[in-house]
Amino acid sequence: MPRAGRRSSGRRRPRRSEPTPRRRLHLAALALVAASFALGLGAGRWVAALDRLVVERFEGRLFRVPSRVYSAPTILYPGLDVRRVELRETLDRLGYRREPTASDLAPGGYVWGRSRVRIHLRPFEHPTRPEPARDIEIRLVGSRIEAIRSAGGESELGAVLLEPQVVGAYYGPDREQRELVRLEDVPQTLVDAILAVEDQRFAEHHGIDWRRIGGAFWVNLRSGSIRQGGSTLTQQLVKNFFLTPERTLRRKAQEAVMAVLLEARYEKRAILESYLNEIYLGQRGSTAIHGVGEAARFYFGKPVGSLSAADSALLAAIISSPGASSPFRNPERARERRDLVLALMHRQGRIDDATLEEARAGELVLASRTREPREARYFLDALRRQIPEVYDADALTSEGLRIHSTLDVRLQQAATRALREGLAELEKRMPSLRSDEPTRALQGCLLALRPQTGEVLALVGGREYSVSQFDRCTQARRPAGSVFKPFVYVAALEPRGKDAPFVTLASRLDDAPLTVATPVGDWAPANYDHEFHGEVSVREAIERSLNVATARLAQQVGIERVVRMARRLGIESPLPGVPSLAIGTADLAPIELARAYATLANGGVRPEIRTFEDVVDPAQGTLARRAIAFERVLDPGVAYLAVSLLEGVVERGTARGLRAAGLAGPVAAKTGTSDEERDAWFVGFTPELVAVVWVGFDEPRSLGLPASHAALPIWLRFVKEATGGRARGAFVPPPTVVRADVDPESGALALTGCPRRVPEFFLQGTEPARSCPEGGFFARDRQRDLPGHERRGIIDRLFDRWLRGNAL
Amino acid sequence: MSVLGRGSLLLALAALVGCAAVGGLGPRGAEPFRLSEVAEEGDARQRASTRLVLDGLDADAALQPAAALPLYERALQLDPTNPWVYLALARHQAEGEAPHSALPMLDQAQALLQGRGEIAPGVAAHLLGLRGVVLRAEGEQDESMALLRRARELSPTVWSDARLEAQELR
Repeated sequence: MPRAGRRSSGRRRPRRSEPTPRRRLHLAALALVAASFALGLGAGRWVAALDRLVVERFEGRLFRVPSRVYSAPTILYPGLDVRRVELRETLDRLGYRREPTASDLAPGGYVWGRSRVRIHLRPFEHPTRPEPARDIEIRLVGSRIEAIRSAGGESELGAVLLEPQVVGAYYGPDREQRELVRLEDVPQTLVDAILAVEDQRFAEHHGIDWRRIGGAFWVNLRSGSIRQGGSTLTQQLVKNFFLTPERTLRRKAQEAVMAVLLEARYEKRAILESYLNEIYLGQRGSTAIHGVGEAARFYFGKPVGSLSAADSALLAAIISSPGASSPFRNPERARERRDLVLALMHRQGRIDDATLEEARAGELVLASRTREPREARYFLDALRRQIPEVYDADALTSEGLRIHSTLDVRLQQAATRALREGLAELEKRMPSLRSDEPTRALQGCLLALRPQTGEVLALVGGREYSVSQFDRCTQARRPAGSVFKPFVYVAALEPRGKDAPFVTLASRLDDAPLTVATPVGDWAPANYDHEFHGEVSVREAIERSLNVATARLAQQVGIERVVRMARRLGIESPLPGVPSLAIGTADLAPIELARAYATLANGGVRPEIRTFEDVVDPAQGTLARRAIAFERVLDPGVAYLAVSLLEGVVERGTARGLRAAGLAGPVAAKTGTSDEERDAWFVGFTPELVAVVWVGFDEPRSLGLPASHAALPIWLRFVKEATGGRARGAFVPPPTVVRADVDPESGALALTGCPRRVPEFFLQGTEPARSCPEGGFFARDRQRDLPGHERRGIIDRLFDRWLRGNAL
Repeated sequence: MSVLGRGSLLLALAALVGCAAVGGLGPRGAEPFRLSEVAEEGDARQRASTRLVLDGLDADAALQPAAALPLYERALQLDPTNPWVYLALARHQAEGEAPHSALPMLDQAQALLQGRGEIAPGVAAHLLGLRGVVLRAEGEQDESMALLRRARELSPTVWSDARLEAQELR
């Protein structure tokens, strides 16, 4: 039965007939339809993908705006020497324009005369301390400000703030800087100038201007090269936002489609605003200037809203070739192109005759060319570590925050110079310190604080940021050497409860061989000169930085007490409670030492370190604030005694080189050299400034120099420039400290009959009770006559009465 | 308050009272102290700093504390050794949301004033009184009362209401 089936399957198929022409046509049409469908499907998917791209980008974060960091403002006041604040240089750094005359002085301009300086200060925006634009006149006598008044006004101004300087920014990988502007803040002349040059029919086309493309095609055809582009603003925006700069047909097609999509989805105003913020307009060092807001500041030192017709035309002229047409690099060419733009604007009816003539007649008036600040990069890193964690790298590089820092630009520059030149000089003097490898070079760091407020005024964390970003001031911990010793002395000088202090400044210490048993064996400290000096006063021990006497004192006081004192003063690093801690074997960070010494300089009030005042968002809301904070951790009298000891180090001790080099005024300091001279430290302060210098190698090796030769000269170079060679103010003893003459050999009171006497400071009631061996006559009576005793009596009586009266 | 803090406070108060005594305090109190009296004291920097403090006090008097604070901060930046800045800041903070932060300001003002010699009774009254205001805000009534009573004794016209208005300090 299946045979039939087999037969059936085995039969020959009928031969197909050849398709007729009509059938062929049908098939071709069908294929075409299918192909069109497939093509349409592909194109549709492609367009949909491009549309998604457009929407995602345009409705997401359009621009990454780096957050800027501002310095502390410069304050001008009558009596100030303008050379001290480098006023003219500061104005130039701020991008102020120097004008020949004061007539019609616009914000951001200044006129420098022999006895008068006129400055039209720019406004500065801040949520709590905005500064209005202010036209001021400064009257000078020599270089000193005699008076400041509003231009044309009579009333004198007590103090005037110059706007803070931008000291850096947190860039993303593209290093683009821009100041976002809203379209309503952009002057119409600038919009007109850009449209006149870049897209005359912007208001009419739908993303692609066929007439312009045709015109450009014709021009290029005739010239045989590409001389004119046909892109609209929308296409340019698309190209910059979404595409690569390659010149391929595929990219051009993408650009055209996306331009149409953009126009279909968004209003012309939104597209124009984005363009104005996106357009590339030049270069400041390695940073790209994008957008008209940033460019207005960069080229003219003005906010965009203050641009004149001439300024606007110049900016529009720059767009096509910001490098070649830069008014800084090629002013003649820039001016020619500006005039061409003005003519074009006039021809298109965008400006009238009068505006054309006025704008053409004007010279190019540019801001001072500001270079990218580079000195503060270690500081910026330190600041980034201090601001709240919520402001991560992404936020800082994209949200356009304004961070108002504590940095003093002048001091930062001085610190940078001092460290760079100081290290170079060391290498010159000691060729063995040189290294051919930059990463193994001699290193150093310099940090300056304001002791009263803990504000970081200058920070240079290394020799060259581009070689090493490791900040040796805040991230490195190195053996502190003798700069730790003051903490031992402060611990010893502080009274313990009702007990007397362990020592006074006149106490005698034994600088004789010492052996301390430790769990790892005996420890026997030696002095730097490998000698012992017998009995010395406390003052002498620290002035000569004697290790043995200090170690013995620490043993008597108790290492734990020394550790607690260091903690109170602001040391946070681990402090091993071993005998050698006293002479600085603990690894400390320079910033900790700066803070601890600041506490002494500040009368026992410990400041919190502060690198910024506040963080402000682009809408002028304060996001974070770091208020001044400090805490009393030490009696002012004890703090003063420590200061007095460290003043002695400068007058007679290891830091006397400061005086020999001409530094005048109140200065207290301490040198520190670690084992094998691997680290050289110098920590010193005036009443207004604490600075710490560290010098050494990242991979420790001997410097072959003590701190007084390695670190002191750098500190001196810096502080001399910071103070003008004379420190201001004074270290004044508080009322709880009295002065009495003592016999320098015995430490006893030097009363009548004593052949030797030196003045010394004591906490009230701790003066020596006995007189020197040769004297002593009337000692008991005379002691009562000491001014401190008299005053103490009054205080005690009053205070006792007050306590009793208040039942405390 | 820690033992150290209490000890420091007592020492500071002893010194203050002592200074006031040496400064010629009479039994009926001293003339009230105003910052405008010392506006021309010191070098140019201090004078400019004090002028900013006076502007800050004006802003505080006009109930614009947000405007006052930056003026005090600038005054501090200009001359961090000017005790009057700390005194005005202490008053500002004692009246503000975080009175406790006024205490270190008072310490600082006192330390700087002591470094300049005797503290006039009128100034001592403000230092003691403001400390009392802060302690009152912190619930330490006994100590606060004692300090405010002493301030009133030293400067009755200002401290009779146990407050220091910006205008009274100006």
